[in-house]
Amino acid sequence: MVLVLALGDLHIPHRAPDLPAKFKSMLVPGKIQHVICTGNLSIKEVHDYLKTLCPDLHITRGEYDEDTRYPETKTLTIGQFKLGLCHGHQVVPWGDLDSLAMLQRQLDVDILVTGHTHQFTAYKHEGGVVINPGSATGAYSNITYDANPSFVLMDIDGLRVVVYVYELIDGEVKVDKIDFKKTTATTHSAH
Amino acid sequence: MVKKKVPDWLNSSLWSTTPSASSSSTATTDTNIFDHHSPTTASPPLESPINPPLPPAAIRDEQQQQPPRHHHPQKPEIKDKLSKSSIVDDDDNNNSIINDNYSDDNIINNKIIITNNDIRNVDDDESAAEDISKQALLLTELSKKVINMGELRRIASQGIPDGAGIRSTVWKLLLGYLAPDRSLWSSELAKKRSQYKHFKEDLLMNPSEIARRLEKTTVLNNDNGKSESRCVLSRSEITHGEHPLSLGKSSVWNQFFQDSEIIEQIDRDVKRTHPDLHFFSGDSSLAKSNQEALRNILTVFAKLNPGIRYVQGMNEILAPLFYIFKNDPDEEMAAFAEADTFFCFVELLSGFRDHFCQQLDNSVVGIRSTITRLSQLLKEHDEELWRHLEITTKVNPQFYAFRWITLLLTQEFNFADSLHIWDTLLSDPEGPQETLLRVCCAMLILIRRRLLAGDFTSILKLLQNYPPTNISHMLYVANKLRGQPSR
Repeated sequence: MVLVLALGDLHIPHRAPDLPAKFKSMLVPGKIQHVICTGNLSIKEVHDYLKTLCPDLHITRGEYDEDTRYPETKTLTIGQFKLGLCHGHQVVPWGDLDSLAMLQRQLDVDILVTGHTHQFTAYKHEGGVVINPGSATGAYSNITYDANPSFVLMDIDGLRVVVYVYELIDGEVKVDKIDFKKTTATTHSAH
Repeated sequence: MVKKKVPDWLNSSLWSTTPSASSSSTATTDTNIFDHHSPTTASPPLESPINPPLPPAAIRDEQQQQPPRHHHPQKPEIKDKLSKSSIVDDDDNNNSIINDNYSDDNIINNKIIITNNDIRNVDDDESAAEDISKQALLLTELSKKVINMGELRRIASQGIPDGAGIRSTVWKLLLGYLAPDRSLWSSELAKKRSQYKHFKEDLLMNPSEIARRLEKTTVLNNDNGKSESRCVLSRSEITHGEHPLSLGKSSVWNQFFQDSEIIEQIDRDVKRTHPDLHFFSGDSSLAKSNQEALRNILTVFAKLNPGIRYVQGMNEILAPLFYIFKNDPDEEMAAFAEADTFFCFVELLSGFRDHFCQQLDNSVVGIRSTITRLSQLLKEHDEELWRHLEITTKVNPQFYAFRWITLLLTQEFNFADSLHIWDTLLSDPEGPQETLLRVCCAMLILIRRRLLAGDFTSILKLLQNYPPTNISHMLYVANKLRGQPSR
């Protein structure tokens, strides 16, 4: 029962001052085992805050990040699942499923988490699942002004993942969930 | 000059742990004390083993220990005579039951001496013979269709021999887990064990599994068949705000995270239980599974009792119970040791629960009041010592008695000795608390000489690291304190 928090595109301080208060009250240390962040934090203070939630923090570089040392993509294995992380501005057209699927095949992961569009989406295709946690602060994006703050919490339990989607709509936190199972266990590829 | 109200029998040098001035004076006081039990003369050891009636067994044990200490030149001789004569006499005098069991029991006792080296007290070699007779008595009692609890309690209070899994069964009877009527045992046990299994299933599940169970009724979405298609994953609503970050009181997740603190505490304490015993600690899979069992029991208890949850120290009370039940030679009993231990633990703790509840500390049932009762008991039986402790040196009994009482003396003596003490505690028909206070009082009285001579620091040092002592002797003194105010 591993809890993984996926969020990104906070754009603090440039486009938003802070996470919404309701989100902050829910995000307390001690519950979450891993945090993966798609990028565009953008400053160190946000990095430190995320570090207090959980020591295991993974970040990839977004185009507005002030820390240039974050990698472009990252892969990690949690339980039976391989997760891939990328900000998404590198994948053109932005948010396009086919291109993201290409990236997923390149990284060879079951779940790909990307951002940049500031819209929550969750797609499934032959290679696996693509999740976009949206913008945790609801900051405006290159494409649209309208963005609801959202983030994603994944509960990985054996071969099954339950994805809880937290969205702030009209000042209220709405939580939905998505369930999916992997059919085979992870085997390390020979090549 | 303080008028001494200490009775003569307490005043004898017999009770001090330092060697007495002259052995002859102790011989005479020996006769004073013991002449109402069995005729003892200047050569007590040779006569007493010939007809070993059970009640003086404790005294006989102590006499075996006493003469070696005081009659130095005769020491090795007497010991040898004792062991030889007792074995010979057992052969002659005992009935067929003992004869049949004799060779087996001797082997069992020897095996126990050899294999359980880490806990068995080697001095018990001498009392192996009386163990055999005790064992026989207990076995006969246990094999009856309906067990006479009063009789069982009487025999058990003398101490239960270590062999043949007797202790496990006797403790279960004394704690009321097994009914005196043997025919009810199998049905009762089955019921209780399945109850524990349900407790575990209900309480030890993590929230992911709970969510999964609830969902089995709803149809899983379309992943299974259509692994080739592309689609937007469908979102489903969640019920009652049940998500991992929920802060709601009724949320399964929230409760889980709140409990995780207690679970961590339990985990830490379980790992620290009896680090010197291989049964409990170390890297072996046996130790790990035993720790797992302890953890489960304590967690289930904490969840079922939200008023008291888990308090540090409960693991120490649990450990001897689990040890005894798990080491039962009967395989079926040992397999279900965890479930049996849980119920016996609940029963044992029921008398002492209030000691663990902080809010009740100052109340009539709390730990402070129990400590006050101990103090009163000491005052009744040994006013000089009481005055010295309370008033002269101002040693607050809480400094030493707290641990003695809440942990039922498990931390003051080595493991084998504390099992012996528990035999007496559990077999008291008035309940373990009364006997516990008497034993604590006896502990104080036995070292009174050193206490009277000491100041605050040395007294506290002594009481917090109680010196090793003869347990049967101590229990005998405790028994003598029963209902006997020394006016």
